[in-house]
Amino acid sequence: MIENELRLSEKQSLPKGSIFSDYQAPLFIAWQLNADCNLNCLHCCEEAGHSMPDELTSQEIMDFCQQIVQWKIPYVAISGGEPLLHPDFFTISEFLRKHQVALKAETNGVFIDREVARRFAKLGFRSVQVSVDGVKPETFEKLRQGGDWQKTIDACKYLVEAGVNTEIVFVPTRFNIHETGELIDLTYRMGIYGFYTGKMMQIGRAAHNWNVLSPSEQEYERFFKVLQDKQAQYDGKMKVYYYPYDVLEELKYRLEYPSASILVIPNGKVKLIGPLPFICADLRKHRLTDVWRRYQKAWQLPQVRTFTKQVINDPSLLRESNRWQELSVN
Amino acid sequence: MRFAEHTRVRQEKFGAVVFETLKEKVFVTNEIGAKILRLLEQHQTPEEITTQLVSEYDDSPDLIKKDVQEFITDLINQSLLKKDDR
Repeated sequence: MIENELRLSEKQSLPKGSIFSDYQAPLFIAWQLNADCNLNCLHCCEEAGHSMPDELTSQEIMDFCQQIVQWKIPYVAISGGEPLLHPDFFTISEFLRKHQVALKAETNGVFIDREVARRFAKLGFRSVQVSVDGVKPETFEKLRQGGDWQKTIDACKYLVEAGVNTEIVFVPTRFNIHETGELIDLTYRMGIYGFYTGKMMQIGRAAHNWNVLSPSEQEYERFFKVLQDKQAQYDGKMKVYYYPYDVLEELKYRLEYPSASILVIPNGKVKLIGPLPFICADLRKHRLTDVWRRYQKAWQLPQVRTFTKQVINDPSLLRESNRWQELSVN
Repeated sequence: MRFAEHTRVRQEKFGAVVFETLKEKVFVTNEIGAKILRLLEQHQTPEEITTQLVSEYDDSPDLIKKDVQEFITDLINQSLLKKDDR
């Protein structure tokens, strides 16, 4: 997601700032605030549903927020579970926004009515990203079990009405991949800022349901062709973004170039990256500077490098992504 | 001049990082760029920034002026910095 685009006033090759270890702290934090979710999506990466017994307390959460501000983390994405189910969601958001941290919320949209949409607008969220996995209620609700397509679409409308930068994220599966183009058209008609998609990742419940959900190569070929066409069609009008690589290509790249970001899960453990099971730090034990140091060291551990290469050769190991292994980092 | 709504600047040991959080693009710059960014944060004008840098560096004033202008133009072209309306 994050890349170096331009080196202002510096034209030499490989200047400082090109690799993650050049930074004093992460540039981005993906924060899974809670595991509780009102839906039971067949493709959920986090296998969300019920709260973890050891999730961070309100006090621990606010302490982490203070560290985010102290270290000038520019950008935080709050997800879950369903983050709007967390009682502290707006307290956290208000605190971080007050200190100019750019915020994105990733939600299923079910709890967004006009009033909630206005709260997002007032807080000046960078964006609210809503999962819309289909253009028809039956497709959507088959995949997002317990979901309500109409409520989700209404949530997007309320957000747009309130002036919130709204994004739709779409995960292609065998059930819904043929609706991609139609959904992008609907997205545009609703006045949404951006449409985001990419290949489904073989992790979490998606891994368990892989044979039922995974589109064929031919379906993916058509999918990317549709995306290319739609990107051209809406150029300058709406952002149509798709990540062209699959999770294995991502891992190959990250093994050489880890991102300047960390992933915090609801119990305060810090994962190295979503598709791998490794925990490199714990917010209950480590301050953010120490977390960042441990993250950098962890990518160099033989255990991590060997397992990552094994995963690349045998994607079925991605099933392990939510069976966390704590790394021994000095 | 002011930074755009979605621009975040952080000073680093190597200089500074500028994060355009809406487009999710990251830019980096060296120590002199970082100095210019700090002065922009303090709402200094390009002329004031040039004067400040001329007093600190041995390069010719014309070269420094040109560098400051180019740097600020880069920031504006990337929608990271906005000219004030007034």
